[in-house]
This record gives sequence, structure tokens and C-alpha cells, in this order.
Amino acid sequence: MFKFQDFDGKLLALRAEMTAPVARIVTTRMPSAPEPIRLFYVNNVFRYSQSYLKREREFCQAGVELIGCNTPEADGEILALLISSLKQVGLQEVRVDLGHARLLKDLMNAAGLDEQQKVSVQSLLSCRDSVGLKKFMEQNNFPSDLREAFLELSRCRRLDEVSSISLNGSKYDMANKQLESLMELQKTLKDYKIDDLVFFDFSLTKKIEYYTGMVFEASVPNLGLPLGGGGRYDNFIEKFGKLKLPATGFALEIGKLLQALTAQGFEILEDPEVKVIVASQFRKTAVETVNALREIGVIASLEVTKRTLEKTREYGKLTEADYVISVGSSLESPVTVYDVKSNVSRDVMLKTFLEELGGQA
Amino acid sequence: MNKKIRIAIPNKGRLKKPAIEALARAGIEVLEEDRAYVSKTSDPRFEAIFARANDIPVYVHYGAVDLGITGHDLILERDANVLELMDLEFGYCKLVVAVPENSSIESVAEVPALTRVATGFPNITRNFFEKRGKQVEVLEVSGTAELAPKLGLAQIIVDITSTGETLRQNKLRIIGSILESTSRLACNKIAYRTFEKQITELLAKMRGESE
Repeated sequence: MFKFQDFDGKLLALRAEMTAPVARIVTTRMPSAPEPIRLFYVNNVFRYSQSYLKREREFCQAGVELIGCNTPEADGEILALLISSLKQVGLQEVRVDLGHARLLKDLMNAAGLDEQQKVSVQSLLSCRDSVGLKKFMEQNNFPSDLREAFLELSRCRRLDEVSSISLNGSKYDMANKQLESLMELQKTLKDYKIDDLVFFDFSLTKKIEYYTGMVFEASVPNLGLPLGGGGRYDNFIEKFGKLKLPATGFALEIGKLLQALTAQGFEILEDPEVKVIVASQFRKTAVETVNALREIGVIASLEVTKRTLEKTREYGKLTEADYVISVGSSLESPVTVYDVKSNVSRDVMLKTFLEELGGQA
Repeated sequence: MNKKIRIAIPNKGRLKKPAIEALARAGIEVLEEDRAYVSKTSDPRFEAIFARANDIPVYVHYGAVDLGITGHDLILERDANVLELMDLEFGYCKLVVAVPENSSIESVAEVPALTRVATGFPNITRNFFEKRGKQVEVLEVSGTAELAPKLGLAQIIVDITSTGETLRQNKLRIIGSILESTSRLACNKIAYRTFEKQITELLAKMRGESE
């Protein structure tokens, strides 16, 4: 995070993500808002990443939060909104991969792991090192049913496959509850008809201390980095005040969306706006012309210096204007339109020229 | 989607030959290794890209290639967020801290503040000394770090060694070890999802498991 001091020594920081500011607003500014609260944002965030692969420091994020509810329907709505947002942007072959932070935590607790061992399991999972995971579980005397469940969960890709896993014994009650909630989520996604786009991924263990339920990322095959992600965070908002509110949401990185669109052959259209500079010794007609141009949506500017027409045309070239037009004392007579790109001048009535541009603009 | 799986192979150096052999054992023969940056393979689903071992972690991280064979040390140095699917066990080396033989420094703890360290691994080096609370000046050199103390550029170096022979020849003595490395099959995280079936099949073959 970027942190610095104010003149009076107060510590300031640039926001690194939007969920914390949203949590603060919900707690302090909207304490009596009816729940659930649905919020969205499109904003810039600032991050210093140690990696010298990523030199950017400012990112534009678009995201949503659904606050005050912890049902599978709330999670389903977030996932449905994520997928429809990506499709709406124009992306194809969108997929979401979803893990469950709480399920992993409950399973690790049931296995009686200490903090160090938990870190090892998470890193083996996130590397998809199934050989290493097997070895680790043998060395640490995992009960055989739990060992089987870990490996099976690592293999599962469809949410409905998770239903085949169930553990016997009261110490697995919590984990079984999470598995059931995944099944409920799967049914919700089916109703939204997006169950074929959401895949299970037990290896998603990032920020496990923050997330309390589903955790997911969105991607397309053409881009090697996730477009964004999110999850359920039921214990976060209370840190900002007394309100204990469950919440779920996602954030997308706009830069990544643009990269992905480019990778999928989407061409960003050229700016269709026409730029015109109006030069005249007669201010009244020049101002009238500028106003007439602006009225039809052309970006028009008045030559405010006293330089020669030749110099104005040169300026037009340098600033990538489309036309430089010079007008006389009366608009009853033709104006001279200089086409900057083709370097050709012609005399034409202003009315005709406006019509031509009207067709263009 | 019907695109080929791109696998990056070091274009020179000690990892190149064993990498090509490891793939060949898994049934992927590189067909035009001498001429092209992009080469066909005997398996039409895969194509080989020749790149610097140093850059392969970055290519895999961004998904410019789907898979890559490169050193664990290089993956850490470039801070690439990739899956290391398999330890290929060749190209063993150690990243060590070394001083001239006649130096009075016996251990890393004795390295004085503001010492200049020459290395081709600036990130790992900086992290290593920072974690030990040592403020050192890291001088990035590409290759032949062992020359730096002779030229008076740096008092100590951080470099890789497999047998220690080069260090001995240059009259350098090891005072600490940072990490051990072998080559890995690295995989882009999104590509793993896209090509999971083909990649798990390749992994099984590389591990010598029956299909």
C-alpha cells in the first residue's frame, strides 16, 4: 500500500482496493439502510507490487457488493452478475473457477493441523502438487477418509461432482455443512443457467483468512491472468464498527478486460469525432461558424491568435485536426475548407459543409 | 478453442538438452530445434518456443506460453506466479553467497552494512539480505558475477554453482547458501484450466506413469 504522512503527522494511504472503503461507508454512512444493500463502484485503486513484472501502480476496478445476506441465492446472484457483465462487455469463452475458503479451513481443522502445516497444505494445493500433497498427508497421518476427500476435491471440476463427497463423524460436521452449501449454490446456478460456466477449484486458497465462503476468479482462455474475482467475506465489515454484516461481491480489472478483448480480436474503434479549427479576420462570422459546428457535435475551436492562415494550418496538422476553415466577413459567401490530411483546399458554402459533416458525424 | 499448447524450452545453456530429452521421453519430439524460435513437435497439439531460460518464467506468468521448462531459481528471481507442476530433477544448482578467499568475512552474519553485492539475481539477493536486516547495495550484473570482486566492483557476490569449481577457480569462498534449485515444468494458471486434460496426460508421461 502507498502510505504517507499529512502535514500534521496523520497517516494517509491510497486505497488498494474498494471493499474496505465500501465497508466503511456502509458502517458509518448507511447504518439504517434496509438490507440487503446492493452497491457498485467503478474506481481507481493503487497498489505497489514488489514484483517487477507488474510496473503499473494504478488500476481501474469495477465491482459490486451484496451486503447483509448469506444465502446461496446471494452468492448465485453475484456469480450470475459477474458472468453477464463479462458477456456484456463482449468477451467469449468466459469461465469462473470457484473454491471454498471455509470448507478448506474446516477440513484442515478436522485434520488437527497446526498453523505451519496449514500453510504447507495451502501451498501444495495452490501449486496443484498432488504428489507432494499425498506425501504430506501420509507423513502427517491424515485419516484415510480425509486423505481421500482432499484428493477427490482436488480432482473435482464440476460443482455437482462435489456432492459425491461426504465425511462420516461429528468432527466433520462443519465441513459437511460447507459441502451442502456448495450443492445449494450449484442448484442456484442451474436456475440462472450458468452452472456450465462455473467450475470447482479446490486449489483456490488465496486470502483464505479474509474469505469465509466461496472464493472465485474469472478468466478467458486467451489471457494468462485472471480478469478479476471475489468471494464471500462475512467477518470483514464488523471491523469497521459494530455492524456484523455478511457480504459477497466481486471486482474486475478494467485493464485486463481490455487486454482480453484485444486478445479475442475485438478492435477498439477509432475516435469518430471531427476536429475543426476556424480562422478568420472577422470575429463575428468566425464565432458564428464555431457555434454552428459545435451544434452538430463537431469539436470546433476558434483561432485565437493573430497568426497567418499558413501558420494556423501548420498548427492544425500538428494537433491532428481534420479541417482548418477560413471564413470571410459574411457567411453568405463560401468559406475555404482546408483538408489537413489530404492537404487540399476548396471553397464551399458553410451550410453545405455542415451537411457534409452532419453525414460524417 | 482449437489452439496449440505452447511450451517454452531454454534456447541455450545447460538446461536446453535435458529439457528437450525430457519432452522426447514423454513423446514430444522437437522437430526443428536449430533453426526456429517456434518449432513444430511430433505431437501436433504442442509447439515448442525457444526462449532464454531467464525469460521463460515471465512468459509463463503472462500466458505468452502455456508451459515452460526453466530453473526454480529463475522462477523465484522473476517472481513469477506460475504452477510448478513437476520437478524435472536435472540442472541442479545452488545459489550461494561468496567472498574472495582472502576476505575476513566468515559468514553472512558478518557481512558489514552497505557492502556491495554483485549478482545476476538482484531480487532474491535483496530479499535474502533484507530478511536478515542487512542493508547491502545490490549491483546487478548479467552473467560472470565472479569477476566483480577481482575488478573491485563488489566485495561479495551471489551466484549459482553446481560443483563449486568456477568459484574455486576464481578464488572465491562460499560463506552461505540461499537456496537449491532444479529445473521445473512451469505452467500458466489459466492455461492449466484450459488444457487440463492434455497437461495431466503429459505430466503422467513425464513421470513415467502408464496412461
